[in-house]
Amino acid sequence: MKYRILLVSLFLFVFSFDTFAHQPEIDKQNTLKSDTITIGSEPDYPPYCMVDENGNAVGFSLDLFKAAAAAVDLKVNVKIGVWNRIKQDLAEGRLDALPLVGRTPEREEIFDFTMPYLSMHGAVFVREGTKGINSVEDLKNKEVAVMEGDNAEEFVRRKNISNKIITTKTFEEAFRNLASGQYDAVITHRVMGINLLKKMGIESVKPLDFQIQEFRQDFCFAVQEGNSALLSRLNEGLSIIIANDTYEKIRLKWFGPAVKEGMTAKEIARITVYVFIPLFLIMSVIWIFVLRREVKRRTKSLEEEISRHKNTLEQLRKQKLLLNEMEKISKVGGWEYDVQTGVINWTEGMYNIYGLKRDEYEPSDYRKNTDFYYPEYKKQIIQSFANTLETGKPYDLQAKLKSADNEEKWVRLRGRPEVVNGEVVRVYGNLLDVTEMKLINDEIKERGERISLLLNSTAEGIYGIDLEGRCTFCNTSALELLGFDDKNQVIGKNMHDLIHHTRADGTEYPESECRIFQAFKAGEGTHADDEVMWKSDGTSFQAEYFSYPIRQDGEIIGCVVTFWDITQRKEDEEELKNLKDDLERQVEERTAELQDKVEKLNKSQKAMLYMVEDLNSITAELQEERRKLELSNKELEAFAYSVSHDLRAPLRAINGFSGFLMEDYADKLDKEGKRQLSVIRQNAEKMDALIADILNLSRISRAEINFTEVDMYSLAKSKFDEIATDEEKQEFEFSISELPPAVGDENLLGQLWQNLIGNALKYSSKSENKRIEIGYRENSDKVIYYIKDEGAGFNPKYKDKLFGVFQRLHRDNEFEGTGVGLAVVQRVVHRHGGEIWADGELNKGATFYFSMRRSDKSSNS
Amino acid sequence: MQNINDVVEILLVEDNPNDVEMALRAFKKNKLANSIFVVEDGEEALNFIFTKGKFAERAEKNLPKMILLDLKLPKVDGLEVLREIKGNEETKIIPVVVLTSSKEESDIVESYKLGVNSYIVKPVDFDKFVNTVKDLGFYWLLLNERPY
Repeated sequence: MKYRILLVSLFLFVFSFDTFAHQPEIDKQNTLKSDTITIGSEPDYPPYCMVDENGNAVGFSLDLFKAAAAAVDLKVNVKIGVWNRIKQDLAEGRLDALPLVGRTPEREEIFDFTMPYLSMHGAVFVREGTKGINSVEDLKNKEVAVMEGDNAEEFVRRKNISNKIITTKTFEEAFRNLASGQYDAVITHRVMGINLLKKMGIESVKPLDFQIQEFRQDFCFAVQEGNSALLSRLNEGLSIIIANDTYEKIRLKWFGPAVKEGMTAKEIARITVYVFIPLFLIMSVIWIFVLRREVKRRTKSLEEEISRHKNTLEQLRKQKLLLNEMEKISKVGGWEYDVQTGVINWTEGMYNIYGLKRDEYEPSDYRKNTDFYYPEYKKQIIQSFANTLETGKPYDLQAKLKSADNEEKWVRLRGRPEVVNGEVVRVYGNLLDVTEMKLINDEIKERGERISLLLNSTAEGIYGIDLEGRCTFCNTSALELLGFDDKNQVIGKNMHDLIHHTRADGTEYPESECRIFQAFKAGEGTHADDEVMWKSDGTSFQAEYFSYPIRQDGEIIGCVVTFWDITQRKEDEEELKNLKDDLERQVEERTAELQDKVEKLNKSQKAMLYMVEDLNSITAELQEERRKLELSNKELEAFAYSVSHDLRAPLRAINGFSGFLMEDYADKLDKEGKRQLSVIRQNAEKMDALIADILNLSRISRAEINFTEVDMYSLAKSKFDEIATDEEKQEFEFSISELPPAVGDENLLGQLWQNLIGNALKYSSKSENKRIEIGYRENSDKVIYYIKDEGAGFNPKYKDKLFGVFQRLHRDNEFEGTGVGLAVVQRVVHRHGGEIWADGELNKGATFYFSMRRSDKSSNS
Repeated sequence: MQNINDVVEILLVEDNPNDVEMALRAFKKNKLANSIFVVEDGEEALNFIFTKGKFAERAEKNLPKMILLDLKLPKVDGLEVLREIKGNEETKIIPVVVLTSSKEESDIVESYKLGVNSYIVKPVDFDKFVNTVKDLGFYWLLLNERPY
């Protein structure tokens, strides 16, 4: 176990091998951020870390750190602080590293450690003369002081060395107190403790001889957990100073003479016996072991290296194949030109493009390579290349060539120079076969031209806008319609601001409301024909437009607007609208008139209905009247019947018995008696005649009329023949015209002629001129018959009375009569719907006229 | 003066005694007065002709040779009597002369419809009446032999 005391150097070896072995990886993986680091150093850990009289940090660990840092080009700033403070600062990143940190399990979690450069064992320090402490176990009930946060504290607490652990801020404090009689013991590292006591000038405190086996401490540089870059660099530095003996020099500076000088002969002997001899043996054994292990490790490492190289080669081969394939597919080749040697290297792709085989062509003659190109391009390529060599600027060309296998190709040539110290040392480049692309581009260009032609040959204005509303293209018609001379006045301009900023009514048209823009805002086409567009000269025109979104890969990138001037159309529409309005107005007026008429008609209809109702009621009244009339006719009939029977019976008796009296008693009556009897009889007969006439008149009024066509001529003539006596027939000059027939009742008309002719005969009986004339006059709808005599006539002033019942214009002793004859005549005429009137003059005759409706026959004759 | 079983040549149906007297006087003047039987209403006339009532005893076969019938009669009027006479097979052969003071057409027409043999309007002028009766008697009683 004792060999562990000096394991320090062993570890140094082991770690140095290890460190060298991994050095390339460290280089590769880690780079240090800063070349100046700040470390913290304790003031009171002699001889490792402490301060000199001037207050500067000094000590073995500090020298070692500085030397290691210098070996890897690190500059070091040192801050001095008590252990707990600097420990905290490192943990929280305020310091980059600490030069002296004992490696403990607790600290592994906070720091990363370099390989250990020093290993120390702890010792129990007591006052001289203290008895009873011969092993660590004896400390159990002793007061043991340690420095707070020191690994000694961690150790005594970890191992529960004592029941009474006291901590101090520094070891100096602990030793001072111990020397002055406090505590039983102080535990710290032996070498450090001895050095400290010496420095403090305390001689009453000594370390006990036994080793605290479990309080062995490896010391390292520590960095913050995870700062592997700094860790690697410090390890590297350590390795270097160990390897070049710097370490040994520093160790000698701090420990060599001082320790030896301070050692007694006994101590030296003891160290030699206990330490160096076993150490030498152990070191030899370990050295052999370590060497063997190292050889084994290096062999393995070499094998791995070879395997890695193989892998790398394989990968390179694969990558080259891949490159060739890629070049074939993408029709590209790469080249490099070394300016100094003039050597040109080509990849497979170059040969492919030029139609060459690698083993048949040597590309290093640059000018020869350009022979594949058409002359106009060849010159350009050579110039560009020369320019690149001279100026260090890259070039990028497009050219046409004819390959070795006679294919025409369009290629893109690019060259990029590598410049070192202002000199072009190398040129890299590639050659891209763009034939297909060129064809496509040409077609695109051609299509573009066609589209452009198409756009410019339409009468509609067409322009495109991007998402910001800026014009991307426009056709000739658009320019003309908008009054621009050149595309550049429009392209790139905000079209809304340019031509669509104001509405027809002069109010502002905000872009946010613009319906053209809505095409891409809404993602669908819009249309308007009620807006105006503004021309460059400040005038506007009525425009109709369609706006459709343009999509690229599903994304809307703008829209295309097609528009045209519809001013004329609007005017036409307006005119048409006016006409239509006019027509509608007329139609309305007419309709109103019609409605008015219909209303009036309705009113008339209503009036008619009322009239019909009235008529109905009148008819009803008439029917009632007629019923009453019929009733009274019946009564009249009954009356007439009664008159004819009952009134005549007494007359008969009067007349009859007067006659009997005259017959039977004629001898007893004188002349006067006979005359009176005859008066009685005459009156009875007269009354009988009156009754007969009245009955006749009544019968005529009541009789049913049986209309037929009546031959008036024959009727009148036969009546004359019937009633005129033979004497009268001789006396009278009777003339009758060919009377037209009439429609009527033959009996009644016979009665009519009989009475008229009778009258004419009667009233002419006393005249000189006995003449009767029957004639007619006719017009379109009636016939007027007349009978004229030259008899007694009548006074015209009484002619109204002619036709009244019992009205007589002559006395009975002039002409006998009842006064009913003309009443009968009038009644017959009226019942036939005609009229009767008379002209006459006293003693100069009379003419009676009556009118009758024409019969069809009469109109024919 | 009248016996119901006497041969009756003329049945006079007349309710007005003045007219009866004048008629008889007219018949008498024409030497027809002996075989005249007078009844004063229609009922009596029918009873006489169909031997009913107070004439039930009368021999049925003893029918008048002529009936002079006034139309305006009490109880059963002349037209009804005429209808009965002309509606019976036995009696319809008896000539019936209607005597009336009316020339009302309805009566005349109705009478002829019922089968009257003659129609006389009683004239106010008695002489005319006498002449008419004379004609009647001559025609119906003397010239117009009964078929049996």
